[in-house]
Amino acid sequence: MTQEVIRSPQMEQAKPSRMTLRQSERLTGYLLVAPVIACIIALIVFPFFYAISISFTDKMVGTEGNFVGLENFGYLLRQSRFTETIRNTIVLVTSVQLLKLVFGMGIAVLLNQEVRGKNIWRGLILLPWAMPAFVAFITWKLLFAAQGGAINMILLGTGLTTTHVDFMSKELAMPSVIIASFWRGFPFWVISFLAGMQNIPQERYEAAALDGASAWGRFRYITLPGLRHVILVVVLLSTIATTNSFEAIWLITGGGPSNATMTFPVLAYYGLQSLRIGEAAAVSVSLLPVFAVLAFIVAVLLQRQED
Amino acid sequence: MLTRLTLQQKILYYSLLTILALIILFPIYYMVIISLKLPKDIYRTPSLLPINATTQNYVDLFDPDKGNFLLNIRNSFIVAGSATFVSVLFSSMAAYSLVRLRYLYRDWFGRLILLAYLTPGSVLFIPLSVIIARLQLGNTLHGLIFVYLTFSTPLSTWLLMGYFKSIPVDLDEQAMVDGATRIQAFFQILLPLSAPGLIAVSVFAFTGAWNELLFGLLFVTSPDLRTVPVAISYLITGDVFRWGLIMAASVSAAVPVMILYYMAQRFVVKGLSAGAVKM
Amino acid sequence: MNIRQKHFLHFCIVALLAVLVIQPAIAQDRPKLVYWGGLIFSETANNMQVERIEQWGEENNVDVEVVMINQNEIVEKVSAAIEAGTVPDVFEPGTGFMLLLSQTGQLEALDDLYAEIGEAHGGWLPSVDAVMNNPIYEGVKYGIPYGANGNVLFRRNDVLEPLGYPDAPATWEELGEMAIAANNPPDYYGAGIALSNVGDGNLTQTMLQSWGGRIADDEGKTCTLDSPETREFLTWITELYGEGVFPPGATTWDGAGDNTAYQSGQAVFIANPGSVYLYMRDNDPDLAEGTRYSALPDGPVVRVSPAGVVVRSIFANSTNKDLAKQLIANLAEDDFIEEYYNNAIYAPALQGHTGFAVFTESAVHAGLLDLALNGTPAGFPDADNAAYAEFSNNFTIPKMIQRVVVDGLSIDDAVVEAQAVCAEIYAKYE
Repeated sequence: MTQEVIRSPQMEQAKPSRMTLRQSERLTGYLLVAPVIACIIALIVFPFFYAISISFTDKMVGTEGNFVGLENFGYLLRQSRFTETIRNTIVLVTSVQLLKLVFGMGIAVLLNQEVRGKNIWRGLILLPWAMPAFVAFITWKLLFAAQGGAINMILLGTGLTTTHVDFMSKELAMPSVIIASFWRGFPFWVISFLAGMQNIPQERYEAAALDGASAWGRFRYITLPGLRHVILVVVLLSTIATTNSFEAIWLITGGGPSNATMTFPVLAYYGLQSLRIGEAAAVSVSLLPVFAVLAFIVAVLLQRQED
Repeated sequence: MLTRLTLQQKILYYSLLTILALIILFPIYYMVIISLKLPKDIYRTPSLLPINATTQNYVDLFDPDKGNFLLNIRNSFIVAGSATFVSVLFSSMAAYSLVRLRYLYRDWFGRLILLAYLTPGSVLFIPLSVIIARLQLGNTLHGLIFVYLTFSTPLSTWLLMGYFKSIPVDLDEQAMVDGATRIQAFFQILLPLSAPGLIAVSVFAFTGAWNELLFGLLFVTSPDLRTVPVAISYLITGDVFRWGLIMAASVSAAVPVMILYYMAQRFVVKGLSAGAVKM
Repeated sequence: MNIRQKHFLHFCIVALLAVLVIQPAIAQDRPKLVYWGGLIFSETANNMQVERIEQWGEENNVDVEVVMINQNEIVEKVSAAIEAGTVPDVFEPGTGFMLLLSQTGQLEALDDLYAEIGEAHGGWLPSVDAVMNNPIYEGVKYGIPYGANGNVLFRRNDVLEPLGYPDAPATWEELGEMAIAANNPPDYYGAGIALSNVGDGNLTQTMLQSWGGRIADDEGKTCTLDSPETREFLTWITELYGEGVFPPGATTWDGAGDNTAYQSGQAVFIANPGSVYLYMRDNDPDLAEGTRYSALPDGPVVRVSPAGVVVRSIFANSTNKDLAKQLIANLAEDDFIEEYYNNAIYAPALQGHTGFAVFTESAVHAGLLDLALNGTPAGFPDADNAAYAEFSNNFTIPKMIQRVVVDGLSIDDAVVEAQAVCAEIYAKYE
């Protein structure tokens, strides 16, 4: 594939009879890819560079803004809550991703069996995904609430506790957000894993069963390696999405109590409320190198697997 | 892979499935219960059971003079349906081009698609509104369709590239030897073979567009053009959540999507299975 | 591709570019006015306003497009519109947002209209006038008030009276005592006051100021948060928190937290602009029966009871400024505004409207009128400038309290930390 790109046009001109075919193929290729590229350039490339460029200015809504160098990033670094924001972002993303990985895999294995009503089960899995994110998260806020919250009702009703449990306390706020994000996000993982499992040849399992491998052994040495590629891609896409996700935290805790659940997107939102979009942009732009490194690592791992 | 389950294994297996179902369904059950209650019952006598159940919230929601939620559902169907259709068309064309055809900078186009995922989130809406306004697409459903299809296209293209790779090249080459043009081979041979992949990608695109809130809120102003999530967000006025109506709306809006999922899910797994591995 | 096709293709490309680049100026016979209102809890009031504006449009041969915008997203919506050049002619920004927008030249000066409407209706209420005369505006009026609002203290008389507290608390300390006496979790929590990163949480900023604490110096230039008064207030509220009178979750409540707590019957006191009153009137008369309303209590040093103002502003980019002004004047007419106040929860902004029946007949409206007549201007005793607005938008005071009651920081450390945050914000506006 790489060789094709490097091959210079001059070389092809040496073979006039092939040229027209190659040319028409090239033209068709460009034409077919053009709509997608046009959309991306219009709606993604411009905003991408716009965000980066205003992050170096003191732009407010409605003003041009002056170049201030790294001032916005400095302001971000100097904030007392900055370290907490980094820590929270890491805690949130890794816990949610680990939960999704472990349970997503477990559920996918369960649903990969020949089970009665398989289609119903698989449809059921997609339910948390069938509603707008903000609806899912205000519902979870209500479930966790002290006043009229379903979980507290159960705890009080069954006598497990004698007073309201404050799920929004310093200790429980982050776990609560993690559970809600997990609930909303896991269907994508289950479905992707299930899909990956369809591609693992059945013969391998049969051979392993003949060798007397245990269920765990078959999972460990056949299923897991077979899903490596899917896992990498899903982890990459979902990690970027989870890091950028705003609704779960904003709707459930608003970043609180204190800074217990403050993450980057919520921090950016506060900048936005004061119309300081340069500052808000700096918050999101500061994550870009992290994402780029992540994408690079995944790309390398994928490449290595293909070789 | 587990063909002969012992009784113990069966019990374990089905109890795990039941726990899973409870975890998924409990919040949804609670939504349904709340959608059947009036505010006073929601606040003063909170309960997990449908005490004093009423369909009043649903009646109000679909009352053309009050909420006219049917209009919002219609808008969402138009927006999500069109965005999905165009997105799948564009991305299958692009995926075909990137997988089957050879030309300069092909790899760069592939990488450009990845860029879509790295775009920083929180200020994105400002440059986007500038573009939408320049294109004269402000306050139209077209603008939303354009935005949604663009945001679903990169993932769709990725997934379809994987799917197309799994289909032997011989098939479309054979068709071309038999006299079909490339475009014909693509539409007549490759696309029909890729049906599960196309359906899977459609489900992703549709879900994304159906559930999106922020752009819907910003780019559409007229009440008549509001999509479902925007209409639901308008049930929160200042510091007041009209829970009964919010939940009635959420439940009503989820029903068509659930039916769609139920019908599409077998293709989703099948469609992704080829795509996911080669992605 | 033959020549004709080629020409056609070129024509298409040029036409497409032309459409994209040149904003087509569509000729219009009738002027068009776009109005973005702020959606409030009372549906009747929202509908009344839309109808009135549409009726005005018909009478004056103007196309009007009036949309009620959800206030929770107004900052994003208006920011996007400003950058995209698609702002409405008239909108309802709220004073904090008006202040920010006026600083970047987005809003039209409305001095003449302000004077004209004031004269026509017996003059503006002093508290309203004070907000509009904030030195930050340098004498220019960027909005026309159409009501005053603020927090009214709601209390559960049916709970408090049997405990020997038949009267409203005169001071915050008294409120604290009453809250402790009535506290009986999980049935009743004494003080349904938000301590979270949300507008309601900034009530604690008001409380701090009534303790004599100040955010900045009189010029509004230098942060002076770190003071003995601030420490005294923080000590008091920390002790109150230790008594368990704040409902669980109060440190993470959103704007609806106090509403929910009170409507659940679990909060003895809340401070609310009135949406809870409308809710009770329509849904829970028993709860309304047991509720009494009063002004915010005094602090140990000074009484701070901020009277806010709701305003209509015109964008500087509007092409129909004169029509927009006519419309705003029309919306201040007695026949409309009296009916509007019956359904909305505002105090009047104009002297000529204080005599409406609703302000004596409805307890909450009476409380709001009292607030508008006797309240303090927004920010008082601090200068309400852009730095103060950002300080408030960052919820620095409720966060300072959370640092102590949630994170267990010492009073001293929390004050020092908040002072640093505050100083950094004020430094940006020097």
